[in-house]
Amino acid sequence: MSDTPILEVRDLCKRFPVRGKGPFAGKSWLAAVNAVSFRLDKGETLALVGESGCGKTTLARAAAMLQPPTSGSVRFEGSEITGLGNRSLKPLRRRVQMIFQDPYGSLNPRLPVGAIIAEPLLVHGLGDKAERRQKAVRLAEQVGLKAGDMSRYPHQFSGGQRQRIAIARAIALQPCLVIADEPVSALDVSIQSQILNLLRDLRDSRRLTYLFISHDLAVVRHFADRVAVMYLGRIVETAAAETLFDAPRHPYTRALIAAQPVIGRGKRTAAGCLSGDPPSPLDPPSGCPFHPRCPLAAALCRESRPELEGDSGHQVACHFKNEGGT
Amino acid sequence: MTGFLFQRLIQSAVVLAVMSFVIYWLMGLMPGDPIDLMISADPKITSEDAARLRALYGLDKPITERYLNWLGAAVGGDFGFSRLYAKPVPEALLPALANTVRLLGITLCLSLLIGLPAGMAAAIRPYSKTDYTINLLAFAGISLPAFWLALLLIIVFSVFLGVLPAGGVAALGGDGFWDQAKYLVLPVANLTIASVGGHTRYMRAAMIEALRQDYIRTARAKGAGPARVVLGHALRNALIPVVTIVSLDFGFLFSGALITETVFAYPGMGKLIFDAIMGNDYNLALVALLFVTLLILIGNLLADLAYAWLDPRISYR
Amino acid sequence: MRGPMVDTADGMMALALKRFRRHRLAIAGAVVLAVLASLAATAPLIATILGLDWEAVDLLNRFAPSSAAHPLGTDELGRDLFIRLLYGGRISLLVGLTATVVAALIGTAIGLLAGFYGGRLDALLMRFTDSVIALPLLPLLIVLAAVDLDKLGLPSSLVQSQYVSLYRIIAIVALVGWTTVARLVRGAALTVRERDFVLSARGYGAGGFRIMTVHILPNLISPVIVATTLSVGNVILLESVLSFLGLGIQPPIPSWGNLLTNAQELIWTAPGLAMWPGMLIFITVIALNFLGDGLQDALDPKATD
Ligand SMILES: Nc1ncnc2c1ncn2[C@@H]1O[C@H](COP(=O)(O)OP(=O)(O)O)[C@@H](O)[C@H]1O
Ligand code: SF4
Ligand SMILES: [Mg+2]
Repeated sequence: MSDTPILEVRDLCKRFPVRGKGPFAGKSWLAAVNAVSFRLDKGETLALVGESGCGKTTLARAAAMLQPPTSGSVRFEGSEITGLGNRSLKPLRRRVQMIFQDPYGSLNPRLPVGAIIAEPLLVHGLGDKAERRQKAVRLAEQVGLKAGDMSRYPHQFSGGQRQRIAIARAIALQPCLVIADEPVSALDVSIQSQILNLLRDLRDSRRLTYLFISHDLAVVRHFADRVAVMYLGRIVETAAAETLFDAPRHPYTRALIAAQPVIGRGKRTAAGCLSGDPPSPLDPPSGCPFHPRCPLAAALCRESRPELEGDSGHQVACHFKNEGGT
Repeated sequence: MTGFLFQRLIQSAVVLAVMSFVIYWLMGLMPGDPIDLMISADPKITSEDAARLRALYGLDKPITERYLNWLGAAVGGDFGFSRLYAKPVPEALLPALANTVRLLGITLCLSLLIGLPAGMAAAIRPYSKTDYTINLLAFAGISLPAFWLALLLIIVFSVFLGVLPAGGVAALGGDGFWDQAKYLVLPVANLTIASVGGHTRYMRAAMIEALRQDYIRTARAKGAGPARVVLGHALRNALIPVVTIVSLDFGFLFSGALITETVFAYPGMGKLIFDAIMGNDYNLALVALLFVTLLILIGNLLADLAYAWLDPRISYR
Repeated sequence: MRGPMVDTADGMMALALKRFRRHRLAIAGAVVLAVLASLAATAPLIATILGLDWEAVDLLNRFAPSSAAHPLGTDELGRDLFIRLLYGGRISLLVGLTATVVAALIGTAIGLLAGFYGGRLDALLMRFTDSVIALPLLPLLIVLAAVDLDKLGLPSSLVQSQYVSLYRIIAIVALVGWTTVARLVRGAALTVRERDFVLSARGYGAGGFRIMTVHILPNLISPVIVATTLSVGNVILLESVLSFLGLGIQPPIPSWGNLLTNAQELIWTAPGLAMWPGMLIFITVIALNFLGDGLQDALDPKATD
């Protein structure tokens, strides 16, 4: 591994203006991502997990400069990319690609598959028309589509096949970093593993680095090298995948793991499982954001927010991170 | 709230200013400026004379300078003289304005009185026989060329039946209510038919949208009788967009008035503007057009305020 | 996971077709328009077959009632009304269509820019659109129609051309006819630009122009079709009233509007002359409105059944 990380995010914040209710209410701010920092080394797969609405998508889009962050720093291969205009970002757009959750929404319904896959090449002026078509066919075959599919339209494909199209498009520019935002969440379980296998194969054959987002821990377990757990716009625990699953230290992580369905026993409802919904990011709780749902919450938790601490291998944001067994 | 009002005022002022310049400029492009007219009236005028006259009237100056001169005079209350009426412009304008206000006032009341209930009736049961019929009639009204309808009304009621005058207004001091009113019947009927279809469609669309809202469905499901639901909840919500659309339609209504007044020789603002343009009476045409624009902008502004007042959700950005 | 939403284009087309077929009036409108258009298109052929000429003056045969020789009678100069109506229809429909296409192009461009860029540009363009809608347009158009083209500095070859009144009316009407399209396109563009494929195109570096033309515009076909259909009717009405007032298409070129110009003076002598041209305008416009309404319903993305 080289020393400069591919992606290094520091104190990243993203707030959305939200219009208040009532005629005289002013604007208020929704902090979707709050002071998030992480680094991603070459060839590594970092998984970002957390309940829906905790800010994973926002974080991914801010890091990829698709929604400019409110504050903080994003460095790509060592150079700062926040504040760059569309033109200066264009070289970066070649190296970083996104895969979206909804394979029904991420493909333009009016373009045939061949054109969809070749579009990034066209945008970057790579090759002539024939070369681009050839390349698109090769890409399609790599992701398990047929050459005959090139003139068909997205609506003629199943969800899994559409996700393959999206993946072919994402690797067309030979990126080094792929940000996959819940790429399998919308798919049937049987299809999920096929797509995960495809992503894994591509990672190996093309030495890809992944920022992989999921709300489903099971998907992440055997796919990621490292996992970051998000809660209400912040990272609350990050560790190597094995460590995190074997010895989680944040009560939220433990609850997430406990909530995993175990084969043969169905969904567990034992103590330690999450109850209720996460609080609204518009009106976050005082102190530790997790305290209203935390079984270990004490007075201290309501008053002060624990920082993300620990050695670079395992960091936790909890006042009582050293208590409570696994 | 004041910020919102202020912003709208500025916007209206900008529109009025742009309009005044554009119309002034276009008037200058009309065939026959005053000098052209003099030349055609008096063949003895040489081209040097014409140039001198042009300089005298300031017609050789650049357009912006002429416009600013005109604007200065207008702001000072000098609107110029109407050639056609041989009177100062305001004196020619005011009687016509009164006539148009009467015509449009009666028409708008009638059209809303018919159109809003009809639209509601259609919306309560979409795709029913009632809805179908109302829609058909509304579309017919929208699609009728107003000038042709006016001709038809004259043919039927003046030519064949002979019961109503084909145009004009009562002679001054014409006594009796009917003497006055009979001249209004056909123009009002014409304009009402031309606008009621639109009002019906707006109301229908707004009402269907309002009835689609979740809480209305809930109220209906809970058994609040249809009449109560419709009148109690939905009507208020439906009226909000309708107020805006109806006010945005003042300009359209005035266009209708121009046609109606012209065909029925009804001496209102529409006919006055048409006659002024066709008769090269540029002072009058310019001021009258701007005045109508001003009135319409004020109407829009009032509707905006009503909208803001009716709709608790709007933020006065 | 996904609801029973229809997401195949075939399915959507089938659904749209089904909804459209429910609109019997819209189908009737389409049929009527097809008939009118083919009659207008084949006017010269019909004239030859009937042995009639739209320009042939016959002063001995003024105001003739309908007969075998003149199906709808003759006008104040003894010209055959039926053939003049067909030729007038040619002009009125052609002008209406052309002006609408020009207007739709303007409206699509404005709506697309406003909807795609949003923010201040959107606010500015929509304020502008609202202002145009609110203005008393007819008197303004009359001023425009009365402007001396020589003074505007247009080449005299154009100004003196026989068809200048056609070009002028198309330009004038297009100048104000774009608002419906602009608003509908803007609304639809606001929705489409939030779709993931637009974000994805940004993600691989596509520029604003490419996103608008390749990714957003092709997905706005339905609103553009609906708004255009609904606009043609208004455009034809505008053209006819301007021509009626003597400011639109100039005789000797006949149009449905200018065929009515003399009808008012002749109303006591020959009330029948006022009937047919107006009737044809009315039928055309109502057919277009029914068609537009049916299309709107059929292509409404929110509709479920
Ligand atoms: N464009 C936006 N405007 C306002 N709020 C937003 C916007 N996008 C996301 N949010 C809010 O930010 C929070 C995080 O959303 P998101 O990043 O989509 O979460 P996740 O991907 O983890 O489900 C949510 O509360 C969401 O409502
Ligand atoms: S800080 Fe307190 S409330 Fe927060 S996770 Fe730790 S124990 Fe629970
Ligand atoms: Mg998400």
